[in-house]
Amino acid sequence: MFTRPDDWAKLTWQQKRDLRLDRWINGEGIKFDSPEAEKNYKARATRLAKAVKMEIPDRVPCAVPTGWFPAMNAGVTLKEVMYDTEKMKWAWLKFVDEYDSDTFDGTLFFQAPVSDILDSRTMKWPGHGLPDDSHSAYQYVEGEYMKADEYDIFMKDPLDFQLRYYLPRTMGIFEPFADVPSFSSFEGLPQRLMVMAQDPRFQKFMKAIQEAGKHVPALQKADYETSQAAYAKGFPAFRGGLAVAPFDAFADNLRGTHGMVMDMYRQPEKIHEAMEFVLPELLNGAVSMADMTDCPVIMMPLHKGDDTFMSNKQFETFYWPTFRRLLLDMVEEGLIPFPVAEGAYNNRLEYISDMPKSSVVWMFEHTDMANAKKTVGKVSCIAGNIPVSTAYTGTVEDMKEACRRLIETCAPGGGYILSGGSTFDMAKPENLHAMMDAAKEYGVY
Amino acid sequence: MEGIKNWADLSPAQKREERYKKWLAAPGVKFKNKEAENLYKERVTRFIKALKMEEPDRVPCMLPTGYFPAYYAGYDLKTVMYDYEKQRDAWMKFMDDFGDMDTFGGPGLVLPAPALEMIDHKTHKWPGHGVADNVAAYQFVEAEYMKADEYDKLIMDPSDFWLRTFMPRQAGAFEPLARLPHLTAFIGIPIFFLGRFADPEIQQAYKTIFKAGEEIIKWQETIGVVAREAIERGYAGFSGGFSGAPFDMLTDMLRGTRGIFLDMYRQPEKIHEAMDRLVPLVIQEAVETADMAMAPIVMMPLHKGERSFMSPKQFEEFYWPSFKKVLLGMIEEGLVPMPFAEGNYIPRLEIIQDMPRASMVWYFEFMDMARAKATVGRNNCIAGNLPISTMVTGTPRAVKEGCRQLIETCAPGGGYILSAAASMDQGNIENLHAMMDAAKEYGVYKK
Repeated sequence: MFTRPDDWAKLTWQQKRDLRLDRWINGEGIKFDSPEAEKNYKARATRLAKAVKMEIPDRVPCAVPTGWFPAMNAGVTLKEVMYDTEKMKWAWLKFVDEYDSDTFDGTLFFQAPVSDILDSRTMKWPGHGLPDDSHSAYQYVEGEYMKADEYDIFMKDPLDFQLRYYLPRTMGIFEPFADVPSFSSFEGLPQRLMVMAQDPRFQKFMKAIQEAGKHVPALQKADYETSQAAYAKGFPAFRGGLAVAPFDAFADNLRGTHGMVMDMYRQPEKIHEAMEFVLPELLNGAVSMADMTDCPVIMMPLHKGDDTFMSNKQFETFYWPTFRRLLLDMVEEGLIPFPVAEGAYNNRLEYISDMPKSSVVWMFEHTDMANAKKTVGKVSCIAGNIPVSTAYTGTVEDMKEACRRLIETCAPGGGYILSGGSTFDMAKPENLHAMMDAAKEYGVY
Repeated sequence: MEGIKNWADLSPAQKREERYKKWLAAPGVKFKNKEAENLYKERVTRFIKALKMEEPDRVPCMLPTGYFPAYYAGYDLKTVMYDYEKQRDAWMKFMDDFGDMDTFGGPGLVLPAPALEMIDHKTHKWPGHGVADNVAAYQFVEAEYMKADEYDKLIMDPSDFWLRTFMPRQAGAFEPLARLPHLTAFIGIPIFFLGRFADPEIQQAYKTIFKAGEEIIKWQETIGVVAREAIERGYAGFSGGFSGAPFDMLTDMLRGTRGIFLDMYRQPEKIHEAMDRLVPLVIQEAVETADMAMAPIVMMPLHKGERSFMSPKQFEEFYWPSFKKVLLGMIEEGLVPMPFAEGNYIPRLEIIQDMPRASMVWYFEFMDMARAKATVGRNNCIAGNLPISTMVTGTPRAVKEGCRQLIETCAPGGGYILSAAASMDQGNIENLHAMMDAAKEYGVYKK
C-alpha cells in the first residue's frame, strides 16, 4: 500500500512518480525466493522504469504479452482454467518457470462460476456461449445497456442507475431491481432495504450474491498467491491497475457503438457532459488501484478512438480532450498511464504527442512504429508491436527478425519496450523464447 | 402519472387536475356503503376547492390528532411503538368514537420500535429508548452524519453515499456496509464488489436487515389495515408523501445545525453544489411516492429557514432558491406541496409569496394569519394555526372561539384549511370536537 509523504502536494509529478517507482522497484513486501531472484526483479523493474523515463537501460526491456498462453502451454482448455482456480494457478506458475520475460502480466483470473451465478449477459466464455474448447477467452456482448435518454438518470445518481437500470439488463440476478423505486432518497432507504429483504425475489438475489461471494475469496487468494509467487521468482508486474478513456466508458459499456455514434450526431452535448462527469471517478479509481498494488503503471485498453471508428475531427472533439485530461491528471498523481491503442492509431500520432515528456507509455497494435517513433516516440516511451500472426505461424527466425527490425526502428535513444501487438494466447512456445532471445541479442545499448 | 395519455404534454394545472380526479375517484376502494362514498366525495371536494382557491361548502378542517388516539385509548406512544395490535386498536377506537371529520390521520408516524432496536438505530431517541417512558415524542439526535469534507461523496454518487457513508453511521447494524467498495459501471464486472458479500460481517448485517424487515412488514400491515378502514368509511386521506427543503436535508440529517452554519461561512459553494444535486432527487422521490398514493399533497416540514435560525439575507441566499426549485418541480408534475413552516415564518412571507396561483398550500405554526392571508394567501391556500396551548390546556369554548377568529380572518374567498399549530398528542377529545364544530358552525360559505 502506497502512503504519501506529508509534503506530497508540494512535489512535482516527476518526484511523485519517482517515489512510486522506488517502492515498485524495491519490491517492498515481496519475499523473494533467493537473493538472485531479488536481483533479477530489481534489474527488470529498473530496466522498465528507465525505458518509461526515456533513459537508456542496459538493454531493451521485453514484455512477453502472455494473455491466455499459459493455459495452452500447460495443455489445459480455457474452460478448465476458468472454472478451476487451482488449475489456473498451476498453469500460470508453470509458465513463469518456463519462460523468461521482463514482466509478469498477471493472472487474468476470470471467475466463470461467479459469472454463471450472476447470470452475466455481457460476456460469453468457454462453456457459456462459446464452445468448451474455444481458443478465445471471452466475447463481450455489446448492447445499449444505457438508453439514449438515460444520460441524465445516470448522472443524477450513478449507483441508483446501476442498481435499477444497468445491472438488471446486464446480470440476470439483478432483474428484480428494475421494478423498485429509486434509491436516491436517504430518508426512506433503510426501510426500503428492510422491506425489500422480505420479497422472495430479493431473497433469491441475496442467496445468489452470497453464493457468488463465497467463490470470490478463493479467487482472490489464488490470484494473490500466483502473483506473489511470480514476483518472488523475480518477475515484476507492469500493471498496477486498469482505467479506460471517458469516451470508451460510454461507448463500450453503456451506449454501445451504434448508440454512441447516433449520440455524436443527435445529442453530442450529453456525451460531453457525461464524460466530464465520470472524469474524476476514473481518476480516483486509477489512483486507488495504484496505491493498493504499489505499482504506478495504469493500463488503459483503448477502443473507439481507433482510425477506423472515427474521423480526426471526431477524435479531437469527442475522444481526445477528456482522455488527455485524464492522462494529465493521472500523471500529476505520479501515475504512469499505459494506453494500449488497440487497432491502428496512425492518424492520431500528432494528437497524442501533445503530452509532457516521458509521462506516458504508449502500446500500439497495428500502428506504423517508424512513424510512431518519429512523432509520439519523441515525447513518450512506446511499446509493441510484434504481429500476432508471426508469433502464431512464423518460424523462430521470422520471430527474431521481426523483433530485430522493431528494435532497430524504435530502440535508438531509449524509450522502447519490445512487446506484441496483442496477446500471444496461441503462439508457438519457441517463438516466445525467440522474442526474449532477440531482446538480449539485439537490444543491448 | 400512470394511465394518463400525453402526460408530458399537459400543463401543471392539467396534471394537478388529473391527480385531483384520482383522489376523488379513489380507484380500487370498496366503500362500506353509499353514504360512506358520498361523505368521502364531499370531503375530498371540500379540500380540493380550498386548494384551488375556490369557495367550498364550508371550511375544511384537519384535526391535530397526532398520537392522540394512543393516549385516548389509554396507552402511550411507547406502548403503541412496541405493540402493533394496540396501535391498530387505538386508532380504530378513535375512528369509531369520534364520528365526522374531514380527514383521518393514521399511525404512519408511529415508528416500529422493535425494528429500530434490531438495527441499533442511532439518529432518534424514543420513549423507553433514550427518553423517558412517558414522553409523547421522539428526539432527533443531531450530529455530523456527514463530515465537513464529505460533500463531494454526496455530490458524486448520492445513493452510494447513503449506502456506504451515511447508513453505517445511522444504525449499528449497517456499519459493515462501509466496507463495501465503490461500484462503477465503467470497468465491466462487479465481481470484486460482490466478493465483499462473503464478508461475515456483511452477511450478519443482511440477516439483521432481514429480521428488521419482518417487523417493518408487520407494522406496515397495521398501518394498511387502519388506512383501508378509514377510507372505506369515507374519511379522506390527505397525505401523498413527505418531503422537505434541500437545505434542511443537509442540515437536519447530514451536517447538523452547527456544521451547516460553519459551512455557510467556510465553504458556502459546497452547500450550493450539494443542494443543486439534491433538488432533482427530492422532486423525483416526491413524484414517485405521490404516484403510489391517492392524494397529491406532499407534506414538507421545514426547519432551519425559520426566523431565529438565519437572517433574511441568508434565507434568500441559502434556503429559498433550492427550496423554490423543489416546489416548482413538484408543481410542474401536478403535485400540491404543503410546506409546514415550523416556528416563526412572519419575516419570510414577502419572499415566499411569489408562487403560481392555486398550486400549493402553506401550513403555518407561529404566524400572523392576517398578514399571511394578505400575502401568501392571495395566491395560495393557507392552513393553521390555533395555538397548541389552547388545544391542550384551553376549554372547548376557548378552542371554538379561537377557530372562529381564524375562520373570520382566513376563510373569506376560499383558500383556507382550519387546523392547529401542531398536533395535540395528549388532551381532551372535546377540544377536537370543538374545532370540528367550529368549522361546521362558522365555516359555511354563503351561496
